[in-house]
Amino acid sequence: MAAPSKSVGKSTGDRLSCNTTSFQKKSRSKLVSIPGTRPSVQNGQLIVSTGVTSLDYVIGGGLAVGTLLLIEEDRYDSYSRMLLKYFLAEGVVCGHELYVASAQDHPSDIIQELPSPILDDIASPKPVESQTKPCDPEGPDTMSIAWRYQNLPKVQTALASSSRFGHYYDVSKTMDPEICQAARCHGFYLPEHSATVSSSPAPPPTATGQSPMPEAYVALLKNLQEVIHREGFDGSLPQTKSRNVLRIGLHSLGSALWGDDLCCRDNPSHGHALTTLLYGLRALLRSSLSVALVTVPSHLIQNKALMGRITRLCDTAVALESFRGSERETNPLYKDYHGLLNVCQVPHLNCLVCDLPDNKDLAFKLKRKQFTIERLHLPPDLSETVSRVSHGGLAGAAMLGSSGCGSAGNKHLDF
Amino acid sequence: MLLEVLQGTEAGGFILLQDTVSYSGRHLLKSYISTALKRLHFHNAYSDPLGWTGNSAFTVHQFTLEDVSTLIKQTPQAKAVTLVIDSLSWILRHHDPAAVCQRLQALKKGGAVRTVIVLVHTDMHQRGTVGSIRHLATSVVTVAPGTRGLGAVAKTTRRTKSGKLMQDEETFSINEDLSVTIHSKLSHPGHTHVNTDETEVDPTANLTFNLRLSDTERQAKEKLALPFVFSKEKKSALLQPGPGSGRILYEPDANDDYDQEDPDDDLDI
Repeated sequence: MAAPSKSVGKSTGDRLSCNTTSFQKKSRSKLVSIPGTRPSVQNGQLIVSTGVTSLDYVIGGGLAVGTLLLIEEDRYDSYSRMLLKYFLAEGVVCGHELYVASAQDHPSDIIQELPSPILDDIASPKPVESQTKPCDPEGPDTMSIAWRYQNLPKVQTALASSSRFGHYYDVSKTMDPEICQAARCHGFYLPEHSATVSSSPAPPPTATGQSPMPEAYVALLKNLQEVIHREGFDGSLPQTKSRNVLRIGLHSLGSALWGDDLCCRDNPSHGHALTTLLYGLRALLRSSLSVALVTVPSHLIQNKALMGRITRLCDTAVALESFRGSERETNPLYKDYHGLLNVCQVPHLNCLVCDLPDNKDLAFKLKRKQFTIERLHLPPDLSETVSRVSHGGLAGAAMLGSSGCGSAGNKHLDF
Repeated sequence: MLLEVLQGTEAGGFILLQDTVSYSGRHLLKSYISTALKRLHFHNAYSDPLGWTGNSAFTVHQFTLEDVSTLIKQTPQAKAVTLVIDSLSWILRHHDPAAVCQRLQALKKGGAVRTVIVLVHTDMHQRGTVGSIRHLATSVVTVAPGTRGLGAVAKTTRRTKSGKLMQDEETFSINEDLSVTIHSKLSHPGHTHVNTDETEVDPTANLTFNLRLSDTERQAKEKLALPFVFSKEKKSALLQPGPGSGRILYEPDANDDYDQEDPDDDLDI
């Protein structure tokens, strides 16, 4: 495995430049070359893009084929749904096959709502920060001594990697129906399947006497296994047709609409149902050329230990917290962003350590042409009463600005 | 926004009315029924929910899409039906909360009814159950007793189809004829940080040395010619992102001796 070379002097703001290398491994043709995938520069795994380039950067380059991405939904399921749509749209643009399962909306409705790709993406969209305004020495923002740095952004907040992988989408338009039709899509809508589910006999309880999974989960796993086997993603078909990747999107697993009372009760009767499903799903993914994105309404789950187990069973886990409807909406600290993003877990695939940007305070903003994830930076606090203890935690830092710690500030500077 | 939500009749809407033991939401529900609905068909599932007497009008097991649709078809001239459930809490006592959520979703999407309005007593259920039902709802109205004795407070959250979220908090009271009067709209409850009124202390005051500039000193400072100060055109030329290659721009200074002649011309090699 060749070591990735670091390109010196490429990044102005990144301290870790491991992801900003333009190194492309020269592939011997033994590796499968599937459109829309590429080998990762860190560990050589085949990775696909999640559809959002900033999210790719934050989880270490992309989503490895055969792994599972968990997204903990925000309170009104707006941004997690958007991420699911980005994921599926990326599949359509790259030519992958899609599998969508939902208990709430029909999969064809979800496919029709996909954002349309911005297809002239040879030139990257212009970053917002460097607007070339005409040099005006009388303007209030112009600097008289350091004027060469006038147009540079004050803080390097945008995260990006140098080699482009993935596409950009325009959220205000939906994808052309022709492009959607060209993509092969398998759907699983639970109310349509529940008629067949209720007629089949309930599975017998397991030998240990624990309650079985709700029939919805069993039906989902069976359907998925059947699709994977029939379409040959697990290598069952002979090598006549070219290989492709199956993108699986499962919307709102664990919610009450799947028949699971994980979100409704403090002590759910099928406590292990969702974890068993994720375990079975991961087994299916590891043995086939597929990648899955699962959204879970974690804000409804009362049992925190269960949420920990669910996170452990998925490979990559990302939690979204949106400011909409909460009191944080009016906080001036967060006025540029729509919510916070927390990377809970990243897998170590065939390696001991994974390389990630080390900043943990990330915030996202959904713009029309881009879903940006940026480092949340606080402006330096120059008031006298602030205490200069450096510690992490945004809430603590936000509070420090308005209240003084310890004794009242010294009003006299004595030398 | 409370009145808009109660009178709004968008198709596929699911309005959830939450109350607690300190203030009952049934009055609001009754006022809605009296003002907004034209014809009321009442199905009594309270007297005999489990069908023990054998001839009950509506049992709790009939709360499914098929049975509700047949009930609606039996009533004459049924179009744009609004289903009002006084107290989903009684249904939640008999059924699994996940099953109730699935049936509510089926009713919402089924097309048999246009709007579903549901009253839930939040004290009677676990937080997860109420949360799951809230997750399904398009509008949520939470009523609580008013603090200043004027009436009750209603917090309304409304989610439109495009994903926009609107919130409002209003004080209202219900009159004798079951109409709702909105007293005041409380301002959006933003938690503003209370900025304590500390005057910014000027650090340049009370020092043993002088850090301030007098006016003449300031003018002299501004008149000082800085090195590497270029003309405006040159600055803007430098600030535009060029083709990327480096260029050397040389402007001879006053001290430079820029002689066009090659000084080595007289060398004879």
